[in-house]
Amino acid sequence: MEGLIAAIIGLLTACGIYLVLRARTFPVVMGLTLLSYAVNLFLFVMGRLNIGVPAIIEPDRAQYADPLPQALVLTAIVIGFGMTAFVVVLALRARADLGNDHVDGKDP
Amino acid sequence: MLSVVGLIVALIFVKFSAPDLALTQLSVEMVTIVLLLLALHFLPWTTPRESSLPRKLRDGALAITGGGLTATLTWAVLTRPYESISHWFLDNSVPGGGGTNVVNVILVDFRGFDTLGEITVLAIAAVGIYMMMRDLHLDAPEADQEGRPWSSDRHPLILATFSRLLLPLALMVAVFILLRGHNLPGGGFIAGLIIAVALVMQYLANGIAWTQPRLSGELHPLIGLGLLTATATGLGSLYFGYPFLTSAHDHFHPPFLGDVELATAMLFDLGVMMVVIGITVVILIRLGSISAGHRRTLLPKNGEPH
Repeated sequence: MEGLIAAIIGLLTACGIYLVLRARTFPVVMGLTLLSYAVNLFLFVMGRLNIGVPAIIEPDRAQYADPLPQALVLTAIVIGFGMTAFVVVLALRARADLGNDHVDGKDP
Repeated sequence: MLSVVGLIVALIFVKFSAPDLALTQLSVEMVTIVLLLLALHFLPWTTPRESSLPRKLRDGALAITGGGLTATLTWAVLTRPYESISHWFLDNSVPGGGGTNVVNVILVDFRGFDTLGEITVLAIAAVGIYMMMRDLHLDAPEADQEGRPWSSDRHPLILATFSRLLLPLALMVAVFILLRGHNLPGGGFIAGLIIAVALVMQYLANGIAWTQPRLSGELHPLIGLGLLTATATGLGSLYFGYPFLTSAHDHFHPPFLGDVELATAMLFDLGVMMVVIGITVVILIRLGSISAGHRRTLLPKNGEPH
């Protein structure tokens, strides 16, 4: 299971990096989103993989899912949405003001 | 495609015992997909093939190296023994924070300052977006790729009717999730996102012209109000001689309701919820209004007799 999760995170990162290096704004936005998925998953599994253990405190339980990475990732997800929205609107504004969607602001 | 990735990530969270994260990821996914579709409406249809082959190879090599390094790092960390500091949070959540949902107690109590900083960042992003969208003029295409004009159909009747029925139910679910957030999966972020999705659904199903007059006022003051609520909750603890953002909790026994536990962290969560609703709805509705404004200028032209 650890190998699978590592492979998923690696794949998301690879796709994210490739898309971020493209020249048009929309692939870059998608690449940033994929990268943020990868980072969120990476942070989340720092609490190790716990299957079927409670996340809520119950009496007479010894083992719990690690709450600290979960709390950090929860805020990271919402911040990630804020960032995506900001970049999308930036791309739209650039398209409106410059007339193209190239990341350098001018068509080659 | 992106949503599918998001859904799989949500399923991974469910599998590995993180219900809060799965709920948040699911609702964020819905909002993101609406946002990206609105943005795609204004961007060019096709991406020109302009990357040369060596450049593609170089980018591919970089991507594979980066991905491989991350995968190796994850694998290395996961197979090492580890000592977590989180047993402190598990031990102190019920006596210190008064809630059994440790994730939520960490967010609104132990690490409340982080969360306050985070909603401040969100509010700043919203102000930036608001300013960028003022006087934004975009020409949306009048026809799709094969030259067919966009459908000027009215909004689908079934969707419109059902979404009106569902709005009060969705708001009730959101309040329920906000209230139970301290002890069971839920909390301000998730409740805020659910309300935002419910409101955006009204705009999607009924159109901006129908929905706008029925909502009293603009929603962006909600962002400031939420930030003020959260900060005021934190300052309240200073008044009682405790450090900033200390939360208090107690049991109350109102008639008919039984034992009710209330924490000041609930107020903080309410502030978080208002910021999240304000930001999401403001962004999506403003983007949507650009396209609706364009549609209005386009419709009479289509309706001209030939």
